[in-house]
Amino acid sequence: MSRQSVFHVGMLAALLSLAGCASGPGGSIYVPAGGASRAPEPPQAAGEEKEPQVWRKSEQTESQEPEQRPERSNKPSYQDAGDDLSPAALSLVREADNLLSSGDAQGAIVRLERAQRIAPRSAEIYFKLSEAYVAGSKLGPAEQFTLKGLSLAGNDTRLQRAGWLLLADIRRARGNVAGASQAEERASAL
Amino acid sequence: MFIRIAAVSLVLLACWVVYLDAVVTSRFEGRRFEVPSRVYARPLELYDGAGVSSGALERELALSGYRKGDGAKPGSYRRNGGHFIISTRGFRFPDGNEPRRKLSLNIYGDRIQDFSVSAGDNAAIVRLEPARIGGIYPAHKEDRILVRLDEVPPQLPAALMAVEDRNFYDHFGIAPASIGRAMLANMRAGRVVQGGSTLTQQLVKNFFLTRDQTLLRKGNEALMSILLELHYEKNDILETYLNEVYLGQAGTRSINGFGLASQFYFGESLKDLDVHQVALLVGMVKGPSYYNPRRHPERATQRRNLVISEMEEAGLIDSQKAARSRGLSLGVSAKPSYSENRYPAYIDLVRRHLARDYKEEDLRSEGLRIFTTLNPAIQYAAEYAVTDTLPRLGSGDTAKALEASLVVTAKDTGEVLALVGGKDPQFAGFNRALDANRPIGSLIKPFTYLTALEQPDRYTLMTPVLDKSFTLEFDDGRRWQPKNYDGEERGEVPLHRALSKSYNLPAVRVGLDVGVSAVRKTLRAFGVVTPISEYPSMLLGSVAMSPVTVAQIYQGLATSGFNTPLRTIREVTDSGGGALSRYSLEVDQVADPAAVHLLQYAMQETMQEGTGRSAYYSVPKELTLAGKTGTTDDGRDSWFAGFSGDLLAVAG
Repeated sequence: MSRQSVFHVGMLAALLSLAGCASGPGGSIYVPAGGASRAPEPPQAAGEEKEPQVWRKSEQTESQEPEQRPERSNKPSYQDAGDDLSPAALSLVREADNLLSSGDAQGAIVRLERAQRIAPRSAEIYFKLSEAYVAGSKLGPAEQFTLKGLSLAGNDTRLQRAGWLLLADIRRARGNVAGASQAEERASAL
Repeated sequence: MFIRIAAVSLVLLACWVVYLDAVVTSRFEGRRFEVPSRVYARPLELYDGAGVSSGALERELALSGYRKGDGAKPGSYRRNGGHFIISTRGFRFPDGNEPRRKLSLNIYGDRIQDFSVSAGDNAAIVRLEPARIGGIYPAHKEDRILVRLDEVPPQLPAALMAVEDRNFYDHFGIAPASIGRAMLANMRAGRVVQGGSTLTQQLVKNFFLTRDQTLLRKGNEALMSILLELHYEKNDILETYLNEVYLGQAGTRSINGFGLASQFYFGESLKDLDVHQVALLVGMVKGPSYYNPRRHPERATQRRNLVISEMEEAGLIDSQKAARSRGLSLGVSAKPSYSENRYPAYIDLVRRHLARDYKEEDLRSEGLRIFTTLNPAIQYAAEYAVTDTLPRLGSGDTAKALEASLVVTAKDTGEVLALVGGKDPQFAGFNRALDANRPIGSLIKPFTYLTALEQPDRYTLMTPVLDKSFTLEFDDGRRWQPKNYDGEERGEVPLHRALSKSYNLPAVRVGLDVGVSAVRKTLRAFGVVTPISEYPSMLLGSVAMSPVTVAQIYQGLATSGFNTPLRTIREVTDSGGGALSRYSLEVDQVADPAAVHLLQYAMQETMQEGTGRSAYYSVPKELTLAGKTGTTDDGRDSWFAGFSGDLLAVAG
């Protein structure tokens, strides 16, 4: 083995021996697909049947549909659905809700960031963060947290709809009428 | 003549007294103490499902100053296999108090189960007190935790007076009778066996004067003591004494005041000390080094028992309590709960972040509390990875010349969890993780391919790209002919393989096709702020970056295109816990999530069958890794950037 590769192995071992410590159950965007035998196949061509996409930074277009992705079984894969909320994270979200309803947006953000640290792949927490930023009249971060939440909403249509509608409201409040309509269309298409 | 001399002397003395008065009042009126800033690790969150091994939890408890014991006393825990009983001390966090609680939990498969609060406020999630990982000190290196007179156990000032100055509340700064008694005793013994100094004099000596035993100094000390008493209340003087007195040494740092001494010797708050512990601290005033309980336990015990007897005699405790206290062991923690400068590279980064918002002098003197994102468990493993791996990479001079650095972040929060700045993690010198700017080599390729994949009508993972040599000729006649690492050419290869095998020729071809400026734009969006070359050679990573910058730009790749600024600090509060700054989570979408997902796929392939596959020699196949290796042409620099689960790591 070359010097470099040994070095990488060592470093990786460090990283991985800890991955378990740092992430909650199911916390990975990467899920081992197909059990132990995972000889990866090359992905299927995806480009031909896709519509040309125009992507803008703040206006998320159609996310890839599952059938457009490389086949899932027996190869590298990613999971775009976020974590379910643990009772611990849920208790922090509830605290944040209470603070938000009493007008303490900053206090709510602190609780939600704590929740986000233990459940970093939960779309719900990002939507809540977005709400807290809206309450604090900070619409820029609010839009970004909504987009982040949407990127983790997976196939949960309820979450997706909530996210798109939230995004529509924020964009309208920011004066981005076209972006708001686009988000609303995405919500109603679900 | 005599009268004249006397008159001149009197005037001179008066001037001198005025001068001393100014010295005394200016120090007392202004800020009396420069209190260092305290730097804390992130607190460990305990809840059902939290990922932590039994060993890691024990290490974390030790770092937070917990003792193995019955688990009933605050600050202690009991372990039986994977079952833990922990009694927390409580801690004031910037967002509120974490009260004392008694916790019960099991650890199974490196996860917490059956978490419950058996005493104290019920909660589904509880934070341990954060470990103190460093400090930012005044030039004189005095460290202290300020305490108020009304919050110390009443036995402490009482015992102090019983031993050091019985008439403290009655004298006017000096006690002539005591001085006389001491002088007599010293003359009889032929050496200094007894001191006649009042607490006020001792304070003056520590506060304003040197330790020399000269007559002039003694005179100044007496004068200043009287002046101090004239201006200030007894309790004010006593409180200042409690915070000033020297009680030990930890390396270059001096332990001043009872507040810090309590933490330093017992790992506990002053208010939680028992009589025998208070007596030990009071006894140590006489000679902190001579009576050091860690080095000279027998001497310290004798001295402590003497103090206990004095307390008994003064009626502070009854004889039963005194006898019981004398029978107890010293109760000193095995070692100070934190050793200074344990994580020099990490603290270096913290200081640089702080320098954006705080003046150095405030950091050194205002007693700020700095809550960082350092994860001691991950730091421990990162240090181990560097110190264990590096010696195995070469022998003799090669091994000596090898250097390494490592950055680990939480990819969705941008928090820097661990940082190793060189092959000796304890060495506070050149911080490679921050300051070693090296060409990043192939680590740049994902950004080239991402730029391409963001044009899905032109590029997909299956798009054939040409692995065939070519020559670029510049306007000035120079020529550039990139080559593959292995010198081979393979004709057409799908894009995903070109990345996972890290072929140079397709990377340059794709980069030139989408345009060097487009790739630079992608790098900028992902957080590169340093100059990026406009030459095509940048497509093979001729651009130099530090490991921390690489971690920053890989953050966006690991999180589906959301840039998350790296942070080492969550909050800064003043010494009273009042919020000064919060550094909030920020996300900023900088790339098309669909394109990043495709790229992540190819980066997983890198680890499974590409240039990073050696990683799977030592990690379980079930763990899905994504990453990229990089080596510069001359072989001087080797990189790896990868992510899995919630973590991202960059090694260089």
